[in-house]
Amino acid sequence: MASGGEKREKNNPSGDQKEKKRKESILDLSKYLEKTIRVKFAGGREASGILKGYDPLLNLVLDNTSEYLRDPDDPYKLTDDTRELGLVVCRGTSVVLICPMDGMESIQNPFIAQD
Amino acid sequence: MLPLSLLRTAQNHPMLVELKNGETYNGHLVSCDNWMNINLREVICTSRDGDKFWRMPECYIRGSTIKYLRIPDEVIDMVKEETVVKNRGRGDMKGGRGGQNQRNRPAARGNFGGRGGKAGGQGGRNPHLKKNLNHNK
Amino acid sequence: MASGLDSFVNHTVSIITSDGRNFIGTLKGFDQTINVILDESHERVYSTTTGVEQVMLGLHIIRGDNVALIGLIDEDVDNRLNLANIKAEPLNPVVH
Repeated sequence: MASGGEKREKNNPSGDQKEKKRKESILDLSKYLEKTIRVKFAGGREASGILKGYDPLLNLVLDNTSEYLRDPDDPYKLTDDTRELGLVVCRGTSVVLICPMDGMESIQNPFIAQD
Repeated sequence: MLPLSLLRTAQNHPMLVELKNGETYNGHLVSCDNWMNINLREVICTSRDGDKFWRMPECYIRGSTIKYLRIPDEVIDMVKEETVVKNRGRGDMKGGRGGQNQRNRPAARGNFGGRGGKAGGQGGRNPHLKKNLNHNK
Repeated sequence: MASGLDSFVNHTVSIITSDGRNFIGTLKGFDQTINVILDESHERVYSTTTGVEQVMLGLHIIRGDNVALIGLIDEDVDNRLNLANIKAEPLNPVVH
C-alpha cells in the first residue's frame, strides 16, 4: 500500500518520480488503523468507527461503528441521533470521504468571524 | 492545458471543493491522483445549506464525488510555464500531463485573489463561503 | 480524440452544470471526461424578482460529470445584454 512519502511531492519535483507515484494510492489508510475515522457515503449516510482493516479499493472494516442518523425530510441533514452498528464492512465504491475523528470538531461559522 | 495538470500544480495551495452532495471543503491540497481523488489538510467543511461547520485536520475525498474546485488564480500561470514546453508537441494526449519540472512556489495562503470582482455577491448554495472568498482578496 | 471543444479553448464559454448553475469564463482546457478549466469565471444567478446577479469566482476546475452544456459566447452579443433587466427562473437541477 501507499506510504505517506508521496505526499511530500514538493520535495521531489522530478518527473520520473511523479510518474511512479501516480501508480500508488494517495491515501495511506494504515495511519488510521485502530483509530476512529469518520466516513461519508454516497447517498448521505455517515458513520464513524475504529478502522480494523481496508483494501486498495477502499473497502473498510470498522468496529464499534456508529451511524449518524439523518433528518427523515432531508437525507443530507444530520441529527444528533446515532445508532450503533458494531462491526461492519463498508463498500469502497460508496465511500465519499474519510477523515480522522481525532481533531474533527463542529465549529461556529469561521467565515463570518473573518469579516 | 489539462484540468488534472492544473490540479497537480495547485498542490500546497488553498482551495475550495464543492461536492455533488452540496457540501464544501476549504483546505490546502496535499495530493491528488489521476482520478481526482484528493487529500486536503486544515479543512473546514460546510454543510450544504451553509449552517453547520466542522474543522478537520485532514480528509480524503473521492474524486468522483466532486462537483468543482476553486483554485487560486495565480496557479494557472504556474502551469503555463511548465506545460508550454511540453505542449509543443500537441495532439499527443500525454503532452499536457506535465507537472514535470514543477516549480514550487510558496502557497499564497488563504488568498483566492478574485480578479476584480464584486464583493458580497450571493448566489448558489453557499453565501458565506462566497462572501469569504471575496473578502479574502 | 477531437471532442469539438478544441475550438472553444481560450474563448469565453457558458457552462450549465447539472445542479442548474450557469458559469461564464474563459475555457483554458479540458480532458477526455470533459473536466474543464474555467478561468476568470463568474456565476450568473437568475431570479424572477431581480436582474441577473453576477458572482465573481475566478479559477475553477469543473468536473465533467457535472457539466450539462458548454456553449461558446459571442462576446459582442453578450456585452450588449443588460443583465440587470433580465429576469428568469433559475434552472432546476438535473434529476438523476
